[in-house]
Amino acid sequence: MTASPWALFRASVTLEATTLRGNRAFVILTAVAAVSFLVMVSLFGLTGSYAPVAVINNDGGPLADRLIEALDAAHHSFALKFMPLADAEAALLSGRLVGILTIPEGFSRDVAAGKTVPIDIRIDNVNIDLTHDVQRALPAAIVKFGRDQKFPGATARMVEHDVMREDPGYIPYLVVSALALDAMVIAGILGAMATAREWERRTVKLLRLSPASPGILLAGKLTVAGTVAAVALGLALLVIVFVYRVVPIAPWSTVFALLACVVIFTSLGAWLGVVLKRTLAAVPLLFGLAMPLYIDSGALEPTRFDGEAIWMAAHLSPVYYAVGVLEWAFGAGRDLHPGGRVDPRTAGEGRVSMSRDRGDAL
Amino acid sequence: MNDVRRVAGVAPDAPPAIEVTDVVCQFGRIRALAGISLRVMPGMVVGIVGPNGAGKTTLIDVICGLVRPSRGTVRVLGHAVAGNTSALRASIGVLPQETALYDEVTAWQNLRFSAALYGVAHADRRIAEVLELVGLSERARDVVRGFSGGMQRRVAIARALLHNPALLILDEPTVGVDVETRHQIWAHIRSLKTEGRTVVLTTNYLDEAEALCDRVAILRAGTLVAEDTPAALTARTGRCLELECWSEHATKLSVALQQHPGVLRAETVDFGLRVYVGIETNPEDIVGAARKLCPVEGFRTRSPDLVEVFRALTAGSQP
Repeated sequence: MTASPWALFRASVTLEATTLRGNRAFVILTAVAAVSFLVMVSLFGLTGSYAPVAVINNDGGPLADRLIEALDAAHHSFALKFMPLADAEAALLSGRLVGILTIPEGFSRDVAAGKTVPIDIRIDNVNIDLTHDVQRALPAAIVKFGRDQKFPGATARMVEHDVMREDPGYIPYLVVSALALDAMVIAGILGAMATAREWERRTVKLLRLSPASPGILLAGKLTVAGTVAAVALGLALLVIVFVYRVVPIAPWSTVFALLACVVIFTSLGAWLGVVLKRTLAAVPLLFGLAMPLYIDSGALEPTRFDGEAIWMAAHLSPVYYAVGVLEWAFGAGRDLHPGGRVDPRTAGEGRVSMSRDRGDAL
Repeated sequence: MNDVRRVAGVAPDAPPAIEVTDVVCQFGRIRALAGISLRVMPGMVVGIVGPNGAGKTTLIDVICGLVRPSRGTVRVLGHAVAGNTSALRASIGVLPQETALYDEVTAWQNLRFSAALYGVAHADRRIAEVLELVGLSERARDVVRGFSGGMQRRVAIARALLHNPALLILDEPTVGVDVETRHQIWAHIRSLKTEGRTVVLTTNYLDEAEALCDRVAILRAGTLVAEDTPAALTARTGRCLELECWSEHATKLSVALQQHPGVLRAETVDFGLRVYVGIETNPEDIVGAARKLCPVEGFRTRSPDLVEVFRALTAGSQP
């Protein structure tokens, strides 16, 4: 009696699928996990944005209003709130505001007269990142205010040449690379479970005692695990397209990239499952590996700017290549091959030019 | 070499179903098997008994080809196990110590998967047959997770029988099951014996070995202490003579009787003294000698059971 390879493959697929059907809650949670990673990176992108800052306008003049408009438009860090000083101070101390900006009385008059006017800002420096945001945003707003009011003096004008045709939003940019994170975690866990559970149930001995080909059995099990992972990733892709409104410029490349991710990460998970022989060990390890590899892949910026060693380490991980291919397919990121997509005539040409006594630009 | 005798219905020139020669298994500093030799002839039920850690499961794994011995050779059904495992595995049915079922699926689905592993022809019919054999036809479509330990064990036995193997290896078939299920499993094993199948079973339960096995091999700390029929092993231990006397006399009697030439061993028990005497010794001579030393209120003789044989054979053999 010899099992035909096809019959064996089918039996392995059927058993694995039936086993997963018996664990519906797990499968549903896996699909939810795919979307939850998108939510996670979105929340990460939102962190520090639109920090509430109270504006105490003691002037009320037209130039004070223009400054407030400049503050509102200058940087996404500011979500301006208008309230009495006492309320603002209470909110600042209780952590519901990150700063109080006070426009002094006589601001419009003094600015019009060419005097230097100090603008007081109190910052909740509980986290230096927020402090830095405010420190960057306020001068930018003042510069914009001066340019809008056509104040004379030394001016700097930025001439920007973009690499991308349009500015991708930060969150849409992040969710594309989050698909690679999704793939690693979900396909990896499903692959690890498919193999490690054979040791946990002790059925691996049964398989080893049989004359059946382990390769065919494994292929059957991983086909099911990969299919479930692909469905979960498909769901995440639909959310990206229809909820985040980020549409790939190369749809087939996106699909093929995701399928390649599923194959690679399911296999990686299966290997970890065999090595560790316990889902309780493999699952936390996959979670633990996925986040650092995701961050290290340069998913949060075009590339890593913090040293060659970290950057080279990223190249050892499949997550790096997955992020690169997906960002390329969505037209939202760097290229894996220099010169492949970035126009060398415009790349890196963003510059600041200085001119003197140009009142029309700052 | 411990040579298991031939059984009726088996060709005299038939090769042994299992032939283990001088097998040593060393795992780092632990020697799990220390030079075991054993022969099992076709059609026999052979029990391998021994305490936990004696090397029973390692010996089974060596026979199945799961563990490569550090030294020695193993032949199963006439073929060397080394390098011939895939073909051999199709001829062996194994009930592992762990029941090892896919508990999220039904008994039928478990067996359907096993049928695919072994390429069983007319699988559905055969599954129905083995489920009938283990008395689980009515529960075929139930998820295994809901089964009792005994029922799960029966499904595992059905799985081991599914591909109609020439050699069946049962690693502690009744461990963790209730008394009723244990007797049901015994009945299945007896039916296998009736079919002329070769069965090797490991067990901690000596009554099980006594009830089921044509031959019993006793393992302790990786060595084969004895291997024979239950009756021969019992004879080797001698006859058991139980003397009823006061406990204060029993200790003195024990010391005195152990000097008697026909006495193999003596031990004090709650009713007095238990004495093992050589098969050629007349127990009444011992009773007479005892009565000269102290009052003996009564006595009886019986054959020792396998537990007593085991204790006698393994006493002092701890390495």
